[in-house]
Amino acid sequence: MNFFSYLKDKLLLIVLSMFSAISIEILLIPYDINIIVRLYILFSIFFAFIVGILVEYFIKRNYYNDLNIKLNELKDKYLISELIDIPDFCEGKILKGVVEEAGKSMLENVNVYKHLQDDYKEYIELWIHEIKIPISASKMIIENNKTSVTKSIDEELDKIENYTEQALYYARSNTAEKDYLIKKYNLKEIINQAILKNTNSFVNSKISLEMNDLDIEVYTDSKWSVFIVNQIIQNSIKYSSRKITIFKKELKENVVLYIKDDGLGISKGDLDRVFEKGFTGENGRIIGKKSTGIGLYLCKKLCDKLRIGLQISSKKGEGTEVRIIFPKGSYTSFSK
Amino acid sequence: MNKILIIEDDEKIRKELENFLNRNGYNAKALNRFNNLVEDIINEKADLVLLDINLPYVDGEFVLKEIRKISNVPIIMVTSRDNEMDELISLNYGADQYVTKPYNIQILLAKISVLLKRNQSAGINQDKIDCKDFILNRSKSIIEKDDLKVELTKNEISILYFLILHRATIVPREDIIKYLWDSEYFIDDNTLTVNMKRLRGKLEEIGLNDIIETKRGQGYMLK
Repeated sequence: MNFFSYLKDKLLLIVLSMFSAISIEILLIPYDINIIVRLYILFSIFFAFIVGILVEYFIKRNYYNDLNIKLNELKDKYLISELIDIPDFCEGKILKGVVEEAGKSMLENVNVYKHLQDDYKEYIELWIHEIKIPISASKMIIENNKTSVTKSIDEELDKIENYTEQALYYARSNTAEKDYLIKKYNLKEIINQAILKNTNSFVNSKISLEMNDLDIEVYTDSKWSVFIVNQIIQNSIKYSSRKITIFKKELKENVVLYIKDDGLGISKGDLDRVFEKGFTGENGRIIGKKSTGIGLYLCKKLCDKLRIGLQISSKKGEGTEVRIIFPKGSYTSFSK
Repeated sequence: MNKILIIEDDEKIRKELENFLNRNGYNAKALNRFNNLVEDIINEKADLVLLDINLPYVDGEFVLKEIRKISNVPIIMVTSRDNEMDELISLNYGADQYVTKPYNIQILLAKISVLLKRNQSAGINQDKIDCKDFILNRSKSIIEKDDLKVELTKNEISILYFLILHRATIVPREDIIKYLWDSEYFIDDNTLTVNMKRLRGKLEEIGLNDIIETKRGQGYMLK
């Protein structure tokens, strides 16, 4: 609060008190009163005026400065009403009332949407559990009736399964609550689970797989990690790799998992944007390689939540290398 | 023959699973009423139970908890709920395995066989398979014929075992590779050729010449 702007607000008061001082002086002229008395009257009017204005200025300045500091320091600014002191002057009381009321109404409004979102997420999870039952039944029927036709349907079922899985993790990635549990897992088990989801693609497309020495413990959520690794492997398969190599490097604080392929690769211009939602790039436009731009976006989002690093480097025509960086320590965990 | 009890409320899955397990050398039975599950399961005296979590009347986890008060029968929980919490609850209540739908049926089969083996009373060697002209011993990974025996690698054992399961039918190369992958041996086409050649060599060592036939463009067949 600036003193001049405060004075400007008080302009009417200043003009009126000057007017009253001048008018009293003019009124006293015919009465021939001692100059000292006249000066005293003038002085007392200005004294009362100035002291009054200064005191009010300092009270308000302290109050509003304090409010500004609190507002600046607060992360969730909408909570400011909780921090406003009840002041002695009535403008401040009105302000507090208004802010409190506005905050309350906004919270109610936000809660409506939060509720809607939770509701929707719940429905999606339920739906995905339901859809998995007919998928299971179909896979079982295929297993009992193996022909070249049903094998081909089996591959399509794998795709359906993958898309439903993506939807499940998408729903989970958007809510604030924790849907994951960080524990100690063997990296090899995670990789094996992800690879087994792709047996059909590997074998039918004759892609070879090389895995080196992945026996090491990392802290993560196994289901989420399997999903992430699975997405990366599927990308490698999709973009015409002949060989996929998986290995790890152990650092002081981390374990870096490398998933390397010799597929189409990603052009330099596209590389920075692969984690953007809906970004399909050059490779996504190749006929027969329909890309949704969701897979890597979702991976990055899940990795961020799990505090796992995700990096990608690639050369067009030579292949792609994805690095997933798992923490070795247990600072994010709460259970053994 | 081991008896496997299937508790599953989806009729199709129940039927197909029963069918599949019966074809793979088990005596599978599915319950089709769910209002008195705990007692029914105990009365069936099965060697292993496949228990779904989402059931009418009761929750599978509750059933599991109740059974564990009375019996130690191996139980595999089967569910479409896919999160760490449910898995932990089930394992805490005493489930032996936890499988999520849609499951890879070969892996389920492998889990069943491991669990049964662990619980089998001593003395009966389930791993010795008599194949008329030779005996396959999976736990020692050898094949025996008369007095001769030869040691096989894990890959070779798995290939031979898969051929025995489908004896006298043509087995496509991809099917063998997929089977090996499900057992977590991630081999490619070339490796299979090499493994096949070595396996034949070892079979010849003990006098089993040409029992594996190559059907060009189709696959292999064990005579």
